[in-house]
This record gives sequence, structure tokens and C-alpha cells, in this order.
Amino acid sequence: MTHPAAATEPVRTPALLAENICKAFVSGQQRTQVLDGLTLSIEAGELTLISGPSGCGKSTLLAILSGLQKVDSGRVQALGSELGQLDLRALERFRLQHTGFVFQGFNLFPALSAFEQVELPLNHMGLSRNEARRRAQQSLEEVGLAHRMRLRPSELSGGEKQRVAIARALAKEPELLFADEPTSALDAANGQMIIDILHRIAHTHGTTVLCVSHDPRLVVHADRVLAMEDGRILSDRHTHAPLVDNKENKS
Amino acid sequence: MVALARKTLIYEWRRFLPAMLAVGFAGLLQLLQIALVLGIFGSTSLYITGSSADVWVGYPGTQSVGSGRTISADVESHVLMDPAVQRVEPYIWVDGDWRGAGETGGVSVFVSGIDPSANGLMFSKALPAGLRARLAEPDAVVVDRSVLDQLGVTIGQTATINGHPVRVVGISSGLRALGGVNVLCSLDTARRLNDDPADSGPTYLVAKLRDSSQANAVAARLRGDTAFGPYTTWSAKDFARRSVLYWLFDTGAGAGVLFLAGIVFLVGAVITSQTLIAAVNGSVREYATLNALGVGVAALRRVVLEQAFWVGALGLLGASALGIVLMMLARSQDVPVVLNVPAALACIILVMGLAAVSGLAAMRSLRRADPATLLR
Repeated sequence: MTHPAAATEPVRTPALLAENICKAFVSGQQRTQVLDGLTLSIEAGELTLISGPSGCGKSTLLAILSGLQKVDSGRVQALGSELGQLDLRALERFRLQHTGFVFQGFNLFPALSAFEQVELPLNHMGLSRNEARRRAQQSLEEVGLAHRMRLRPSELSGGEKQRVAIARALAKEPELLFADEPTSALDAANGQMIIDILHRIAHTHGTTVLCVSHDPRLVVHADRVLAMEDGRILSDRHTHAPLVDNKENKS
Repeated sequence: MVALARKTLIYEWRRFLPAMLAVGFAGLLQLLQIALVLGIFGSTSLYITGSSADVWVGYPGTQSVGSGRTISADVESHVLMDPAVQRVEPYIWVDGDWRGAGETGGVSVFVSGIDPSANGLMFSKALPAGLRARLAEPDAVVVDRSVLDQLGVTIGQTATINGHPVRVVGISSGLRALGGVNVLCSLDTARRLNDDPADSGPTYLVAKLRDSSQANAVAARLRGDTAFGPYTTWSAKDFARRSVLYWLFDTGAGAGVLFLAGIVFLVGAVITSQTLIAAVNGSVREYATLNALGVGVAALRRVVLEQAFWVGALGLLGASALGIVLMMLARSQDVPVVLNVPAALACIILVMGLAAVSGLAAMRSLRRADPATLLR
């Protein structure tokens, strides 16, 4: 599938590429084929939404594309790296340098302030103390929490916690941002705010955002919507042209 | 660097409190046990450590101070002939049966016959000079303050040992014995108290050297001459260790100490590791998220180990504070407690080892922090 802007752009390697991937889970005697020969490529700088009923394999697909899980067969390429050839340490290093994650549960350390939650992973990236703090400050400002960054999770609302989690991923300045049901634990207003932020990240930072959700509100904001069922992609629909919106590609 | 381990420990202190208490009490138990054992069994070498002799001469194969046999008095001149020796004096040990004025029945006493002169070596560190001088009086004895009730006497009263009358002329402290009561008297008095006529010589000869550091060499040099009947020599340090080890291991007390140390370690480690495991499990999703973001498992393990370290350190701090108070209390009640550097180090190693083992056990539950499980 091509879109209008692609014709005027040089051929780009996709940010994420999955070829003929299969994944099955075995529990006891039961073997469940979750992904069955799925092929997919995701362009950089897009907000891609994978939607589908629960159990359709969308979370497994996210885990595989983000290097959290190995495939049974097929190959996965992320930013040009063959994920299947990386060992555990190399995968950790790849995720440290290139990926951000936002989960349904916010998974914040109760003891740390919002600022520290964001700063913590940056400490492990080899950034200087000042650079880590500058980035933490900047990302929290970007998600609109500049005034709340000294508070602990217990003092934040659900929406604020998810914004901290997004800031934590964003501060790493990742090329790839993975989000799993980021709005399902939130009310309408907060959910909308999270959607706006994810959309903005894709379009202003040129980040490839891959989001798994069955939240219909997300559909209108996504550049591309993939509908999944039974481990296969049913439909693949571009909503609007992301590359025109993308700052980096404007001249 | 965000101090995740410490901040979590402070913020969730209630969660970590059981571990700190377990570590603290394990440390305290161990500390008091070692202090008591050292105090009680240290008293078996009081005769040596409370004296300023560098070399001891006694019957071959003697296992502790209290189990000596008489040696020939002629050995004294042989020892004196060694140019390194400055002074030699006899020491007579008599096992006695004390009958006091009060209704105490017979009390088993260890009579130490010593040279009462001002420069005498025996008990020079344990016995004040004034009391030592008074021992020169015939039939005068000095006993420890803590055993007056047991002996049924007070100062100035008379009693009998092995049927011979003695008079308590002074009361000292720090002379407690194990398995009996120490009674100090002069060599002359001790000879009178001995009912065995065959036992004529001294039980030991103790020597002061011109240079104390030569003790081992001189002891070795004086050994092995059989012209004066059977005897052997030890440096004071060796003989003291020999006495303490005899009591520790031949009485089973040492095995008891080690056994209890093992139990304390095990119980402490179980409680501490369970608490740390619960703490890791409580944060497993957060750890998994960090791992998803690329923070390595090794770094997460360090966080758990650091928490274990702080739990150990804080437990140790509490144990030390409480231990010092209890030791002071024990001292004030004449309970023999002694703590030396190796024993304190052993406690610290035990406690930190306990914390480390618990930390390692807790680290294993980090395997559950698989980021893939966060995606449902």
C-alpha cells in the first residue's frame, strides 16, 4: 500500500519489519498458535494502531516487534537490526538505546517522585547527570507535568501517572515507542490527553509509535490502523499521510 | 543516579522492618552468645591472662590450668639458668573443699598459692597490690566479690579448706572461675592446705623474661630436658589458648556455640530472604518495566543486593546499640561478658553474610520480572 507522499520521498527502510513470523504458546498439552505467518512493515514517524479482540495476538506481536519476546520462526528487523540474532544482553542494550514503553499499568516505583521515575532509566544510558536531569525536566514539561514533578505516584491521578510513564519513555528520546493499552485504565478526558500526547510524539519527534489498543478513540488519531484477528492482520488502513505532518521531512 | 534501593527502603520501611529486626536479633543473639562464651570460658585462662608471666612450666600433656600435676621443684633452678629469664616463681594449685561459717555445705574451691611479694607474677594484673600484700599473713585468703554468698562468708570471717582454717582478708573482683570458686592465698598457706603428702612440688613454675617477645623461643628451648623429671613449657599465650580451647571443645560448649550460630544464621536468613523476596515481588512490575526500557538485569540485581546490604547494616547498627546496653548491664551484674575484635568481626561477618545470602535468594525472584509478562 502506498500513500501520496511516498512517491516524492526516497525509499525508506521501515522502522519495523516482520517477515512470516510464527509464535505459539504451549501450556500443558495445549498448544496455541498465536501468530501464524504474519508479515508486516511499519514506517518511521507514524502512529500505528493495532486493534482487535482480546486474544487476537496483538500484544504478542508488540512483544515480538519490541524485542521482548523471540519468534518461533520468521525474522524481525528493528531499525535495521535483526532482533533474532541478538542475545539477551544485546537486546537489553538495543532497548536501552532505541525503545520506549508505555504499559496499561503505569508501573511507577512508589518511592520515587515523578522526576526520579523519569531520570532513573536515563542514569543507565550513560548520560551525564545534568543531561539526564535536563531531559527529565523537558519530558515532564512536554506531558504537562512541570508543576507536579516532585510528587510521588500516590499523590498523582491515574492520568498523571500515565503521563509520567510516557515522559519516562519519551526522555530516552527513542526511535521506537511501544504502548500497550495506554488508555484502558483511564477515563475519557485523561484517555484523550494520552492519545494527543502519543500523536504529538510521533509527529513532532519523528518517533515510530506502535500502539496496541481496542480503544476506538485512538483510531481517529492513528496514521495507520491494523485490525487483527486470530493471529492474522485482517485490514490495514492509512488514515492520513504521516510524512507530510512529520516535521523532520518538511523542507 | 537515582538511589532507588535506598529511597524504596525509606519509603517502604514497614515492608523491610521484619528483615531488619531479623538481622538485628540474629546479630544480637550471636554477639551476646560470643560475649558470654568468651567471658565464661575466658575465665578458665584468667590464671594466665591475669598474670605477667611469659613462660609457663608444667606437667606434660596438661590440658588446662586446672588440671595440672606437680613437677619437681628443682626445675626452677634449671629455668633460672637460662639467660633470657628474669624471674621465676612457683604456682601451686590445690583443689579444696570449702566449709564456710554459713549454711552452704561443702563448696568446691580452686586454691591458687601465689608469691605474695610486691613483684610477684601470678595475678599481678587481677589482684590489687594492697590485697596481695595481705596474703603474706598466715592462712589469709582473698576471694571474688561475686562468690561471697556461695561461700557463706564476709570479709574477716574464717572458714576451712580441706579441714585447715583460713581467714578471708580481702575481696577482689574479676576472679570468677568456671566450675568452682577461686581462692587466692600465699604459697605457704597453699602448701598447708594440701592434704596429699606426696604432692610436694609446685604445680607450675611461671617465668618472666627480659624480653616478652622471646616467649615462644625460650619455651621451646627449655622444653625436652628430662633430668629433673617430667615437665614441659608453653608460652603464656599458647597455654591460655590451650586452656580456653579445652573448655570450649572438650566440654561440648564450642559445638553448642557453633550449632546455635548455625541455627541463628538459618532462621535469620529465612526471615530476611522472605522479606526481601516479598519486597522484590511487590515491585516486580516496576523492575520489569525498567528492564523493558533496557535497564539490564545486572543493574536490577544490584538494587536488590544494595537493599540487602542496607538491611544488614541497619540491623547491625540496632544490634550494636542494644548489644552495648546489654553488655553494660551484664557487666554491672558481674555476668562475665567479654568481646574482642575477632569476635565482633565474626558477628559483623555473620550478619552481613546473612544479609548477602538473603539478597542473593531475593535476586532469584527477579527472574519473574520478565517484561513480556507486562503485555497482556
